[in-house]
Amino acid sequence: MRLTLAAALALMPIAAIAQDDPRLDAVAARQGYFKLLGANMGVLAGMAKGDLAYDEAQATQAGANIKALSLYHAPVHFAQGTSTDDLGDQTAARPEIWTDSAGFAEKFAGLAAAAAPLPEALAGGQDSLGPVVQSLGGACKACHDGYRAK
Amino acid sequence: MRVRVWDPALRAYHWLLAAAVTVTWLLGQFGPASMTLHFWLGYSILGLLAFRLVWGLAGPAPARFASFVRGPGATLRYARGIFVRQPSLTAGHNPLGALSAVAMIAVLAMQGVTGLFVDPDDYINVGPLAGSVDAATRKLAIRLHHLGATLAVVLVGLHVAAILFYRVWKREDLVRPMLTGWKLVRPPRD
Repeated sequence: MRLTLAAALALMPIAAIAQDDPRLDAVAARQGYFKLLGANMGVLAGMAKGDLAYDEAQATQAGANIKALSLYHAPVHFAQGTSTDDLGDQTAARPEIWTDSAGFAEKFAGLAAAAAPLPEALAGGQDSLGPVVQSLGGACKACHDGYRAK
Repeated sequence: MRVRVWDPALRAYHWLLAAAVTVTWLLGQFGPASMTLHFWLGYSILGLLAFRLVWGLAGPAPARFASFVRGPGATLRYARGIFVRQPSLTAGHNPLGALSAVAMIAVLAMQGVTGLFVDPDDYINVGPLAGSVDAATRKLAIRLHHLGATLAVVLVGLHVAAILFYRVWKREDLVRPMLTGWKLVRPPRD
């Protein structure tokens, strides 16, 4: 009984740290950011492929959301000590994000550039979706290739 | 004696596969963001491999797996004599070449199949079957696909190096038979 209590007390600080670890908060914040990007990309890609029924208002809204997200400064959530080297499977952020922060920032600029013509670029009906998805998807891939763990 | 070891269909398969694998690999590493051509070539490679499977079971004798896949004993015996400076005169794949061929077929099959399930989260290069499996499987597929790309380079490099080794060291041309079908082989003992 005493031993169990001692063990529980000894483990408590670890549990507390795990919960309040600001590094994990940063990871959660940026993963939420990419979830939002993905949710809106999913709408555009789904409609472009025909998996989702085309709806211009919905497409325009998704495009506007992506543009807003592309202007959000997400790199602030890539705090020091939160790469795959530090946190393993809890993140997909490769150490290159920190060793080559200029290259990483450039990829975010690429997303902003791809999203710049939104949502106006989506005005031409369903046919306008393909090029927009290609261009945005290319920006996703450009960054995933070098900075996201496989 | 000169024998027609490689039939025309097998030769066409070999060179189409070599070209498709080279272009697909290059597109995978350096290609445009939209990997449509990489995908179509991947499907073609799966088709070529399906042909090879059929040919390996029901094709002409030198093409059949049963004729060239050898046990460890025969393979070791052949490997011991590999540096002897004379042609192998094998009527088809020699026991080590057989290992290489099977390894390449296996890795390319893995590439083709895992490619169907990849999802790199870019919404433009999603495998056609990615939606039918869970996220963990998709992740595994993409990891295997990247590993397989490296393995493919190693195996193709080994393949080309072996052909150079046979040409230069063992004085045996293995390229011409794959072009013409005809190869100098040791007459069967009776």
